[in-house]
Amino acid sequence: MEALRTKALSKQFGGVDAVNDVSFAVNVGERLAIIGPNGAGKTTLFNLINGQLSPTAGRISFFGQDVTSLPPHRRAHLGQARAFQVISLLQKLTVLQNTLLTINGTKPHRFAMFRPVKKFEDVLQKASDTLKGLDLWEKQDQPVSNLSHGEQRRLEIGLGLSMEPKLLLLDEPSAGLTKEESAEIIGIIKNLRTDITVLIVDHDMDMVFEVAERILVLHYGQLIADGDPGQIQADRKVREIYMGVEDAVDYAGTA
Amino acid sequence: MDWFVINLLNGISYGMVLFLIASGMSIVLGAMGIINLAHGALYMVGAYMGWTVAVKWGAGFGLGLLAGGLCAGLVGLAIERGLLRHLYKKPNEQVLLTFGFVYILANLCLWIWGGWPRMPFTANFLTGSMEILGRAYPKARVAVIVVGLVLAIGLWWLQEKTRMGAIVRAGMDDKEMTMGLGINLERAFALIFFVSAFIAGSAGVIGAQLLGVHNALGMDILLLALIVIIVGGVGSIQGALLGGILIGVIDGFGKAIFPQLAMFTMYLTMIVVIIVRPAGLLGRKI
Amino acid sequence: METIKHEKGQDRWVSRGAPYILGTLVLLVTPLFLDTYGQGLMTRFLIFALFAMSFNIVFGYAGLMSLGHAAFFGAGGYTVALLKLHYDVNLFWISAPLGILVATLIAALFGIIALRASGIYFLLVTFALGQMLYSLAWNVKWLNSKGMQGITGINLPDLGIPGFTLDTIWFYYLVLIFFLLSCVLLYRLVISPFGLALEGIREGEPRMDAVGYNTWYLKYAAFVVSGAFAGLAGVLFAYYNFFVSPNHLGIATSFLPMVMTIMGGLGTFLGPVVGAAVFIFVENFASILSPQRWPLVLGTLFVLTIMFAREGIGVYLWRLWTRWGPNYGSVKN
Repeated sequence: MEALRTKALSKQFGGVDAVNDVSFAVNVGERLAIIGPNGAGKTTLFNLINGQLSPTAGRISFFGQDVTSLPPHRRAHLGQARAFQVISLLQKLTVLQNTLLTINGTKPHRFAMFRPVKKFEDVLQKASDTLKGLDLWEKQDQPVSNLSHGEQRRLEIGLGLSMEPKLLLLDEPSAGLTKEESAEIIGIIKNLRTDITVLIVDHDMDMVFEVAERILVLHYGQLIADGDPGQIQADRKVREIYMGVEDAVDYAGTA
Repeated sequence: MDWFVINLLNGISYGMVLFLIASGMSIVLGAMGIINLAHGALYMVGAYMGWTVAVKWGAGFGLGLLAGGLCAGLVGLAIERGLLRHLYKKPNEQVLLTFGFVYILANLCLWIWGGWPRMPFTANFLTGSMEILGRAYPKARVAVIVVGLVLAIGLWWLQEKTRMGAIVRAGMDDKEMTMGLGINLERAFALIFFVSAFIAGSAGVIGAQLLGVHNALGMDILLLALIVIIVGGVGSIQGALLGGILIGVIDGFGKAIFPQLAMFTMYLTMIVVIIVRPAGLLGRKI
Repeated sequence: METIKHEKGQDRWVSRGAPYILGTLVLLVTPLFLDTYGQGLMTRFLIFALFAMSFNIVFGYAGLMSLGHAAFFGAGGYTVALLKLHYDVNLFWISAPLGILVATLIAALFGIIALRASGIYFLLVTFALGQMLYSLAWNVKWLNSKGMQGITGINLPDLGIPGFTLDTIWFYYLVLIFFLLSCVLLYRLVISPFGLALEGIREGEPRMDAVGYNTWYLKYAAFVVSGAFAGLAGVLFAYYNFFVSPNHLGIATSFLPMVMTIMGGLGTFLGPVVGAAVFIFVENFASILSPQRWPLVLGTLFVLTIMFAREGIGVYLWRLWTRWGPNYGSVKN
């Protein structure tokens, strides 16, 4: 079963091809990493998959359904959850408020106007479980801005999971984290159920090679390599782009 | 045919005044991300000051124009330096602050100049009419069209071809980076605001012939400027020009054909544009 | 805007119930000790507090800066006035619901147009739409009493109770009932999932989108609901003022709830009420001392609030209360 498939996906800004004719498919439960130098189009690709941007060409299907023109909120209901490159949590609201908002997002009662939020027992229970699982229960009344960067990343990913997604999009989850914090994130990803598909964009090669079963390499918006970690490491084009050919040998040696 | 041309010219000259008004506001909006709601009030200050210098003191239109522009420019600069710049990262507060000044400036003008409107005035050499297609047409209106075109070209050149223009465009795209490059963005902003206010004040003097000099100008002009910006799009001189001319012409013909309708042709145009092209006809996303 | 601090968790307001009870008592009892002028002033305060609270839903909670809110306020008032002028209807139970309905319909229409615009354009569009109504009211004969601008001849409403006519103080209590009712409804709105979602939109619309909320719909609903309450305020205003004019549809009136909300504390529930109280108070004194200079005073006060008390006067008062007032315990789940 295919979780996601893109067909000739392209996005142009002015004269620039941010994403150019990218086609790939992801199977359910796959852990797929997307790497490439800065400006290669990775976040743009995520924005296309998640709906923040409309492609200039190409199509996207999600579990067999064409979602190319669906807005982000509809994709969330279909089962996509995303952690953003720049933490998207609502800084001035509390941890609890952010949690309740996220959980409610895919619930039918999110528009309810005359019943207090706190009266929705199941939501509160889920919020409590989620926050306790993330070890952030004690901080529920603190504004998110009070949390450390690592805690915020953990929270954002945790909240993404609380949406019970079919596809989890992680955009540079290791950015700004210490080695320990990154290890935590790796742990979270590794412990995810196999029916959740994970797409991860990151620059931290340790994380990528630890977590990914398959890697896509983007360069100037184009897909230039697609394979398992071993294949990617050995790929000449990839090594040229990343390291210059001389250094490639060293890196391959330490992998 | 004559009727058409005369009304067209009327519409274009009115549209040029609208362009003059909207251009200043559009510059600030595009470069600094602020809607200066006091822009109409600055126009009014310029108009009153220009009247005082040109008519009351009899110093002539040219000096009146300069005085109006300078006065408005300095008031604008004071607002920016004294207050606005402390709210740099907070565009909402900046907008609100400028709105407070609509009331302050309107009331100050009332205090200083009183409630009676002033007679429309223009340069001596522009009084009277010239011949267009065998009909008499006010010279002053033709002058307004010329001035508007000159300003449009000048501003466009500034925007596209000069270092300041490049700085402004860069600052608009990425403030931190621009500042990191050592460019003094604060000073650039102060200058931009001053220029915008100066244009507003001068527009007040130039437009006096067409729009008069009275105490409700602050709000009236603001409304006109906003409609032009909504229609023409934000952040470009071309947008302000297109918006101004379009509105001016539509309004002019509207008034000529259905005089009862007054401002409705303007509003209708605005609503159509909002629905069809929400960012304005030539709008760029900020 | 930096207006929500974590102390204002939704339940803290409820736990510290004393100010509410106290406030309601004050509102109930004070007018008995005032003359008709004072009672009128308190009526005015309640009406504008309601108007400001309706505006706060859109501005403080959803984060949409709208400069055309008087369109709904004035629409409510004009409905009452027109029913009186053209059809001699003075029954509260006909005019009021119709007034609210008209205001809501206008909000529904304007919302569709205005929400095409995002960010700063929204402000421009709401402003222009409000002025459009102003222009209509100015120019269309049917919307004016004969030979003048606006509509006169409105009386205190007829409640349909035989043998009973309203006077100033009973009208005050009528307004108070609707004010308190609205407070309860708006409060429940604000602590509901919908209310929380509005705050989410204010703080980060892209995230809300990605998490599953149809943000357009939320903003639209906020706009329409807000318009309904503004319309109610306008209905009551027409009865209070005996007169409606195009000014009540335009920017001069749209500005007022904005001033009140900001001065009182944006995005807090009772901020607009505090702001309205301060405003009416200052306005009253200014009009006695120097009516000519009132706009100058207002503008200056507004500018000063933005520069130095951005969280609003109401928030400072609240801080005082929470620091030195009785402690009802904290609220954890």
